[in-house]
Amino acid sequence: MGSAATATKVNATAIPASDFGRVLAQRERRFAAALLAPAFLALLATTTFPLLFLVWTSAFRMDLAMPFTNGYVGLENYKVLLTDERFWSSLLISLVYTGSTVILQVVIGLALALLVMDMKRGQGWFRVIAILPVVLSPAVVGMIWRTFMLAPEFGIIDFLAINAGLGSKNWLGDPLLAMVSVIIIHTWQWTPFAFMVLLASLAALPEDIYEAARLDRATAWQRFQRITLPLLRPAIVMVIIMRTMVALTAFAAIFTVTGGGPGTATEILNLYAYRKSFTELSIGYGSALAVALLIVTILISAVLFAMRRAK
Amino acid sequence: MSANRIRFFALLAISLVFLLAWAFPVVWSMLNSLKTDRDALAYPPKLIFSPTLEAYRDVLFGSGSILPNLISSMVISVGTTIVTMLMAVPAAYALARLRFRGKKFAGFYVLATQMLPPVGIIIPYFLVLRNIGWIDTYQGIILIYLSFSLPFAIWLLVSYFEDIPFEMEEAAYLDGASRLRTLWRIIIPQVRGGIAVTIVFVFLNAWNEFLFAVVLSGNTVRPVTVAMFNFVSVEQTLWAKLAAVSVLAMLPVVVLGVVAQKHIVKGLTVGAVKGGGRR
Repeated sequence: MGSAATATKVNATAIPASDFGRVLAQRERRFAAALLAPAFLALLATTTFPLLFLVWTSAFRMDLAMPFTNGYVGLENYKVLLTDERFWSSLLISLVYTGSTVILQVVIGLALALLVMDMKRGQGWFRVIAILPVVLSPAVVGMIWRTFMLAPEFGIIDFLAINAGLGSKNWLGDPLLAMVSVIIIHTWQWTPFAFMVLLASLAALPEDIYEAARLDRATAWQRFQRITLPLLRPAIVMVIIMRTMVALTAFAAIFTVTGGGPGTATEILNLYAYRKSFTELSIGYGSALAVALLIVTILISAVLFAMRRAK
Repeated sequence: MSANRIRFFALLAISLVFLLAWAFPVVWSMLNSLKTDRDALAYPPKLIFSPTLEAYRDVLFGSGSILPNLISSMVISVGTTIVTMLMAVPAAYALARLRFRGKKFAGFYVLATQMLPPVGIIIPYFLVLRNIGWIDTYQGIILIYLSFSLPFAIWLLVSYFEDIPFEMEEAAYLDGASRLRTLWRIIIPQVRGGIAVTIVFVFLNAWNEFLFAVVLSGNTVRPVTVAMFNFVSVEQTLWAKLAAVSVLAMLPVVVLGVVAQKHIVKGLTVGAVKGGGRR
């Protein structure tokens, strides 16, 4: 890079003054290229190349346990996928998991942000405590919930359930309860994120509109519906987009808490692709599942981004 | 009681419930990590007990110590942070401040790379790393961590670079300083705060990553998030030790999170506008 910079310097002195602007622009381009090169090479190597290679491997039968059966199969993996019940159920589980966690995070996060906004004291506590779940590793979070919170007759949740007269429950052994549990854990961990972003957006709203609305005797609900919600819309949509992307590819917490089980009750599409590739060692089919997940992600984000543009 | 007082107490109750719910798992692990295994197993759960550091001594210095795993986590996180920052700062500066053809596309490309599901990246990556013998190595893990840390760091930094007034670098440039010198001497000091926040985020994300770590780690390089599985098995869970490992695994991120709390919100919000976070 150093040699390129000196080279342009030499050129600049040799060229007549009328071309000075053009030379400056050219120099700026070269400087930009040099600064961007390392990062873009790394991104090509770690994202774009794997993506192309993924699509390529999805056209193969690639079984690490039975290498002698490996070979090019074209679209075979995708044909199998379309009639694979486990694929469709994992897709459904993904959508339920993503939809419910995102809605819960936004609704609870917004309600709490509105509540804390009006607090004269104690806001600081919220800001500090809310950071905790957000910075924790989902793997550690999953482990803590699985053991200290949900373990039958030991975990605090079960302790509370017994004392509330509900009796001890097999939280992670029952398909429905396991699904509810992983949804609650995800919501527990990421609601503070929605809360903090929305609180920051609320604090940035102009105060005088509310003054005017109060003078016009608008009720609290009217103020919320007519002023707060429309002004907050971009932030809310952005939170929805970010949380959706993350929930669709959630892995660590579900993996540590239920491992996708019992059976396949909490196996989201992401986890299915992982299990197929690295537990069942069927890498070709796992790749096809990962491509399917990518397509689902792109479709959903396209819809969400369209939502963002619309007005 | 007046309506206002009822409202006040209702708010207080709701607030306490949420604060307790968010703090509880962390506090409860800390408490359990100070118990003996017998106290940790007690039913109903013991709130009053004589604290001991026994569990920490065992998990750090006993057989099957997790000290090497903590070191693995630290090497991976620090390594990822250094490599990421060396690449992201110049790239972000170029994207924020320089004019060149294809700039819009370059920005879009960085954003788009964040959309890739990690499971899609790890499958081909695993095949390649296996062929070149990089499974269970630091370089293998740090390299793949760039796939998520770089786009995030670049976008976060771009937002800080964009806040600097243009006159600054124009003045330096007209004074005859080279572009590189201007960047190093004038611009970088202006975004020190932003760089610090980015470092915190990149470190946190690397420390917390799990999917890539599970697939790529082995006996030599195994971060603590993966190693903590050793303390839970079908037959028995070593409650106090598991709690101690959890606390050790969360210690760096909790300390960083609480210290950098104010800045993290800005980082999250920028991410909310421009890019994505890590799961």
